[in-house]
Amino acid sequence: MLLDITTMAPDDYVGFTFFIGYMAMAAAAVFFFIERGSVDPKWKMSLLVSGLITGIAAVHYFYMRDYYLATGDNPTFFRYVDWTLTVPLMCVEFYLLTKVAGARKSLLWKLIFASTWMLVCGYIGEAFNPAGGSTSHSVTWGVLSTLGYLYILHSVWMGEVAKLADESKSDVVKKGVRALAWFVLVGWAIYPIGYMCMDGGWLNSALGWSSQNVDLWYNIADAINKIGFGLVVYNIAITESKK
Amino acid sequence: MNSISFIFLVCLYALFFIYEAIGGIKIENQIFYCSMLIIAFGIPHGALDHILFFKKRNTSQVKFYSIYLGLVLFFILLWIYYPTLSLTLFLIISAFHFGESQFEDLDIKNYLNSLLLYLVWGLSLLINLIFYNVDELNVLTTLFKDTESFYYLYNHKYVTYGFILFNLASTGLLFNLLYNKIINWNKLLSELFLFGLIHLTFFLFPFIIGFTLYFVILHSIRVMKYEYDFFKKESNNFNLFVFLKLVTPYTLLSLFFSGLVFILSFKEIISISIPLLSLIIISAITLPHAIVMHIFYREK
Repeated sequence: MLLDITTMAPDDYVGFTFFIGYMAMAAAAVFFFIERGSVDPKWKMSLLVSGLITGIAAVHYFYMRDYYLATGDNPTFFRYVDWTLTVPLMCVEFYLLTKVAGARKSLLWKLIFASTWMLVCGYIGEAFNPAGGSTSHSVTWGVLSTLGYLYILHSVWMGEVAKLADESKSDVVKKGVRALAWFVLVGWAIYPIGYMCMDGGWLNSALGWSSQNVDLWYNIADAINKIGFGLVVYNIAITESKK
Repeated sequence: MNSISFIFLVCLYALFFIYEAIGGIKIENQIFYCSMLIIAFGIPHGALDHILFFKKRNTSQVKFYSIYLGLVLFFILLWIYYPTLSLTLFLIISAFHFGESQFEDLDIKNYLNSLLLYLVWGLSLLINLIFYNVDELNVLTTLFKDTESFYYLYNHKYVTYGFILFNLASTGLLFNLLYNKIINWNKLLSELFLFGLIHLTFFLFPFIIGFTLYFVILHSIRVMKYEYDFFKKESNNFNLFVFLKLVTPYTLLSLFFSGLVFILSFKEIISISIPLLSLIIISAITLPHAIVMHIFYREK
């Protein structure tokens, strides 16, 4: 599809960030896979997951970039396929980091369930919203999706993950988990804002914020969250391996 | 982020969806529900002043109650004779009190520096609330004759200057705490994030809702949690039921007298509008409460 595109407007910031996002994710994936060889065996799985997160995102960004350039529409379908795979993997990172402090498999499944719940509900709310935007549809699925988000947020800041990190003997792990918790709190907060900007959403109807430029923010947030998340994990792995 | 900030965030999300579902809340409903919440949480958070004070000072009960009630009476009289001065004083005292409860956990060695932080942070909080809701405040205050004179406080270009100045100063003072190693990066980010959330709340929601969200969750519940933890540390048998038993007598007493004054106003025996009367009552009980809490925090 990209071959059919002959020109790109210099002020097409959404298109610009799709290209940047794609290349940054691909580069990050290569980096994490190569660096996997530099860390202790116990951290190899964490770096593999970081590489998978950015690698999967790079492939989806490749499709989303083409889809956007060919149609000019929001690639909602591809975005949610990407998030449904990568966000639970981010939750897996929390489990892997706190495993040394005694994290159980049940924590892993709870986080995976909450993140999948959050994304499936978000997808139904966004993709199956009737033409023109239905407020009741948007609110119902938005509330359900937010419950999943708040569960993860609580777990990483005050719940099981936070307690396990505190019990960990390593300051690097403690600081790392706290840094990842910041990504969940601030970085992930951009997604509900995008959700509320779509037709029928509150920010759209009350403040006139349209979904037209949501992709720009999603692209920036995705790059920061996924690559940043991976770099924090990399820093923990490399620091702990040097001990 | 602590449990209080988490509750605040959950309420913020809940309000987003309520607004999305019903498109807004009528002003009468805003006043009714917000008043209920302020009464339910605001009055009890100050209902333990007498117990907290005697934990720190060996003063006679007669002296304590004379000074406490004397300050209440003083502020009521000040309101009657100098309403504009009283409002200004009330805002400054409230700002200081809000700032102090926000940063009570910090170990700031220099007393003057701590006072400056409390005051500047609190003033930036109040000026943000005014700045984002100037039009609404215009309408609210001009509804009643006796609140028209408060127009000077917000309908002025100085609000914009104050907004910029106090927000910059607050941020600067927070970075200064980091520089002096009183807080770490994580605490700084938490404070800045919470400050940002407060901005967002005041920007997105009407004046009354924005203030209620802050006052109930980030101030009253926070202070009550602090008080609860204090008593819990003293005795293992202390629980929520005992805490509720402690706050009930003075909460009911305050409600009784406030209700009485409102009835007198409603029956036009007192010729003061309900909003102004609310301000007078709140400021009259805020002054001694802020002093008691200052002593309590200082001597913890």
